[in-house]
Amino acid sequence: MRHCLLLAAILIGACSAEPQPPLVAKELVVTRPMPGNGMSAAYLSLTNNTEQKISITRVTSAQFGSVQLHESTLENGVARMRAMPELEIPAGATVTLQRGGKHLMLMRPTGPADVVSLQFFDDDNLVLSVDAAFETKAH
Amino acid sequence: MGPKNFVIAIVLAIALSAGIFVATRLQAPAALNAAFVLPTTTPLPEFSLVDQSGSVVTRDSFRDRWDLVFFGFTHCPDICPTTLQILAVARNELAAAGQEPLPRIVLVSVDPERDTPELIGEYVDYFGDGNLGVTGSLDELRKLTSGLGIYFEKQAGESDDYAVDHSAAVLLINPDGEFHALFSGPHSIENYVHDVPLIMKSR
Repeated sequence: MRHCLLLAAILIGACSAEPQPPLVAKELVVTRPMPGNGMSAAYLSLTNNTEQKISITRVTSAQFGSVQLHESTLENGVARMRAMPELEIPAGATVTLQRGGKHLMLMRPTGPADVVSLQFFDDDNLVLSVDAAFETKAH
Repeated sequence: MGPKNFVIAIVLAIALSAGIFVATRLQAPAALNAAFVLPTTTPLPEFSLVDQSGSVVTRDSFRDRWDLVFFGFTHCPDICPTTLQILAVARNELAAAGQEPLPRIVLVSVDPERDTPELIGEYVDYFGDGNLGVTGSLDELRKLTSGLGIYFEKQAGESDDYAVDHSAAVLLINPDGEFHALFSGPHSIENYVHDVPLIMKSR
């Protein structure tokens, strides 16, 4: 009887647990659009909870006319920025987009906004949608 | 020499050594965190560009003050604003610590094709008052950059959507308008707060 109760408790617990989303975003920071040209950047970490790789091939935002996957590098004293055709997050791994490295470049703001929504696509499949407020000015 | 004199001699020798050690330590310049001070300062080359108000900027515009000069462009969303933010926060921290004089922050555009005086003005103003934005013709820009060993190269891209590779260094220009010291990237607030006053003081 005692074992039956324990088994029931485990099953109930398992049933009530939220299924993990395939891709989870954390530490999302979106810089305030620069005056003049409205350029902005987004930084975040992406964790793949599945057993297969996820390739982000496209990111969209209602608040920006264009979002591009970019990578900055600093090599031999020269700063470079290049577009990435895709961002691969291996199975079970976390990829971090951070200042001076991989990042999202947000261009052509569609209008004044307090919150940015970002949609991440693997080809035509929407795999993640997140919202974030612009970061506050740090100086 | 008797035992008493021998002890006195030893004590004197130790005291002399300690004195020499302390004296040399006091005279030695404090170590810099990141900056490289040029063994021989280099006068800025002759050039003629414009600032955010359209006024002419020449090498004489860099006299009688210290300047922290960065070469970048306003369509750069990552490295350039991050570097300017580091310089702005460092300058604020130096001001809060009572540092005098304070260096001016200067952004020289390596993308004069897109960076109009108005645009670069809005950009540098975002990082605080008193900053200088410099732009102008490519030929004049090259006179300045080649004279300082600063590299930049426009990359292929669609019409108005391209990047520019550029040196990541920040140059410290002294009040004689000379290239005095260099901060290589990656940059940090702490390095500027630590090194800039030491360099100014040691001049």
